[in-house]
Order: sequence, then C-alpha cells, then structure tokens
Amino acid sequence: MSTKPLPLEPMRHVFREELDQLRLQVELMGLRVDENLERMRQNLRTGDEIVADAAFTADNEIDAMNVSLTERCYLLLGRESPVASDLRFIVSVLRIVSELERVGDLALRVVKLTPKHHLLVRSEVVFDILVTLSDEAVEYFRVALRAWSAQDLRLATELATQNRNLDLYYERLISELKALEGPDAVRIAIAAFAAGRALERIADHSAIIGARLRYLITGEPAHLAAEVR
Amino acid sequence: MAPDINLTEPAIVDESVDVTPETPGAASGPVPEVVFEVSDLSVYYGDFRAVRDVNIAVHKHEITAFIGPSGCGKTTVLRCFNRMNDLIDIARVEGNVSYHGVDLYDREVNPVEVRRRIGMVFQKPNPFPKSIYDNVAYGPKIAGVKANMDDVVEKALRGAGLWDEVKSRLKASGMGLSGGQQQRLCIARAIATEPEVLLMDEPCSSLDPIATARIEDLMQEIKDKYTIVIVTHNMQQAARVSDRTAFFTTEVNAESDTRTGLLVEVGSTDTMFSNPGDERTENYVTGRFG
Repeated sequence: MSTKPLPLEPMRHVFREELDQLRLQVELMGLRVDENLERMRQNLRTGDEIVADAAFTADNEIDAMNVSLTERCYLLLGRESPVASDLRFIVSVLRIVSELERVGDLALRVVKLTPKHHLLVRSEVVFDILVTLSDEAVEYFRVALRAWSAQDLRLATELATQNRNLDLYYERLISELKALEGPDAVRIAIAAFAAGRALERIADHSAIIGARLRYLITGEPAHLAAEVR
Repeated sequence: MAPDINLTEPAIVDESVDVTPETPGAASGPVPEVVFEVSDLSVYYGDFRAVRDVNIAVHKHEITAFIGPSGCGKTTVLRCFNRMNDLIDIARVEGNVSYHGVDLYDREVNPVEVRRRIGMVFQKPNPFPKSIYDNVAYGPKIAGVKANMDDVVEKALRGAGLWDEVKSRLKASGMGLSGGQQQRLCIARAIATEPEVLLMDEPCSSLDPIATARIEDLMQEIKDKYTIVIVTHNMQQAARVSDRTAFFTTEVNAESDTRTGLLVEVGSTDTMFSNPGDERTENYVTGRFG
C-alpha cells in the first residue's frame, strides 16, 4: 500500500515571527555597530572630535539595544520553552549581542585616543599600519554581519577557521613600536599599541561571531567546543 | 532486583541479551542491559495497521519516553510491552517483542505473569472503589504473596511517595484522595507486586503542575529500581524525565485514507531535544509543524 507523510500545518506562528524579528533586530544592532566602526575609522584618520562625539552617542544606543534584546531572549526562553534549533538560536543571539556590544566598546577605545591623535600620526609607518589594521578589522566585522544576515554557514566557517592577514599587520605594528626612537617614543608606542590592540580584538570578536553562528547552524558539539575555546 | 525471566511456570530462556546498535551518538559509556527488544513490530486492529515496523530497545533502569502526535501509535506500542492488546479481540501483533530475550508473545508465556512483572499506570488515575490499603494489597493478594501484607502495603506506599500523606487513614476510600494522590496510589498499586518495569501512559495528563512535578520527581527516585517507559504528550516532560526518547509520527495510507504510526528515531533525550537527527523530529519538538 502506498503511503505519504501526514500533511502538517506550520504552527506557532507568533513564536516564529518573534524569532524572525529577533534575527532582524540583531542585524540592526550589528549595523549600528558597523556605523560606529566607520566613525572610528574616520576618527582614526582625521582625529575629528565631532565624529568622536557622534560615536559616543551612538554607543549608548548600542548598549540599550543589547539590554533590550537580552531581555527579549529571557522572555522567549521563559515563555516558549524553546528546544533544538530554536533554543540554539536564542542562546546564540544572547551571546552574539554581547559580542556586538563588545565590538562597539572596542571601537570607542580607539575613538577615546582622539586627544592623542597627534602621537598616532607622528610615525608615518606606524600610522599606515594602524589605518590598514582598522580597514582589515572593519572588513572582518562586515563579513560577520553578512554571515549573520544570510545565516551563511560558509562565511561563518571562514570567519571561525581562517588565518588572517590582520595578524601579520599586528605583528608588524609591534615590531615597529619596539623600534621607535626619540623623546616621544614611549608615548607614541603606548597610544598606538592601545589602538592596534583594540583593532585586533575587533577582528577576534568578529571571528567569535562566526564561530557562534556556525554552531547555531550545525548544532555540532565539535563546533561548540571550537566556539568556547 | 535480579531479573528472573521465567514467564511461564518452567523457565524457558537463557539470559543472553542481544544489543542492537542504535542511532549513532545516542549511548555513551558501558553498554546498557536491554529489557525489551522490539523488532519489526506491527500492530493491526482487524485489517487496519495501526503501527508498523517499530524497532527499539528499552534499557534497564532508564526512563524511555515515547512522544509524537495523536494517532502515531505510541500507546499501541506501549501496550504491547505487557500484552494489553490481547484484551482487544481484533488486535494482532506481528514482529517480535522480547523481554530479557523471551518472546513475550510465545504461546507458553502467561499474560498474567507478564502483567505482574510489567506494571502499568494509566492516563486517568483509576483506584478501585476500595480503601487505600486494599487498593495496594489487591495485587499482592491475587499473586499469592506470603509476606506480611501490612509491610507490603507500607513499602509500596513509601515507594510511591504517598505513605506520609495517607498512613493515618489507610482504611479511607482511595476515591477520596486528590487526583495527584490517586495517581501515586495507582503507582503504589503497580509496584506492590514488585514488577521490574513500569509502563506509564500519560500519567500526568489529568494532574495539575504540582502533582505532575511530584510524579516526575517520583519517577527519578524509583528509576534505580524499575525500568520505566512513559508515553507523554508533554514534550517538556519527556525532556525533563527521560534518559532516552523515541519519536513516533504518522503517515497516511493513500488508498484507505487511514493513518499508520511509525517510529522515526530513538536516541538520548539530550540529543533528541538539542540536535535531533531527523528533520521530522526537529519539526515536532520545536512545535514548528503539527
């Protein structure tokens, strides 16, 4: 006798819509962070104080989004008792919004160096490396944001596993800083190191977002292990 | 409790147990002892095939949960474990259900002995219209238990977590207890004959959340003595209480427009609720389709 699967109706519409909204809200928060990364990059090049102020204001909004999305996740966990991929999704959102918030803070760390901008530009080589590092870091973050928007496993895996050019630039920065000479060498090195380190961490957090997205999509225990490494 | 697998008067089997490999990643650690081994089980009611081709092993001292939509055959399969389907004239069982290697449907097997060893708790608490004491003593009396009946009753009521609540009124009617207490009385009645297995068919579906939590706690407390198989509509309950979960679904027979249940997959409950292997399971446990 021929058989067919029981025709099933989609269910829990409201919950599904809420999950979809949550995905979009995370994307929106990511865009806010991306805008601030752009301000950071502009501020690093120019030392513009108006841009710096705008970045501080925008970061408050990012922090507020973090709080509101976290509350939304708690609410959904309590109300909907999600399991399997739904549970992974909500827990991943919780963890990813805190990564986004962290990236926002790291961008501010660079912006906070505005009063020391004259030191950052003093050595042409050091400044070039910092600008390149900021371009690379922003690019990594954009890949993470694209991966999230499309829930793209390939991009997520790339972020989580690839070797990065950025690390070479960062090493280069450190050796240039060690070789600095002159009366302001230490002050330049401290400021440039703070900026370089924050930029490197932005790329790290972007990679973590990729790893979390990869585990969200696959549910593979090995991917979880890689994520929390 | 060492399993004595004599289900007739004379012993009919050796103790060798055949362990069938299952869903990869489901089990870890030592190979568990298998209590029930079901292979290619189909159950018919007349010409209608209610459930088909079920293969599953039930492990000793574990709680196995059966979940799935209405009509997927989970209760039908549960009833095969203690031959309750015998009570339905038109029911017919194909395939094999073995209990510690003994074919449960062998001619020589006495269904009464099967039901003594494999107790059942039903959806609605169904105490006899007798005293609390007599409800529990009934089974052991029928089974000809020689021990002091007061001790037997106390032990069973303690085992079901009910003793302290009823010890002062053992002669009162079992019908006067609350729903949750009645269900625990039924569990006491089921374990009074010292079965090895408890089959529970939606034991909490008529209980409030607190009574449900008490039954769930009780299941955890007694699982080192018994092997438990529970049918539940409550997926959170399956996730909370069980070690392994079996997901059943239904398919439609194109010509007759009837529905037949089938087992989709069985695995560790952790896996079934975190990352199930089959998309149908994922859709069901997340409530995405139904």
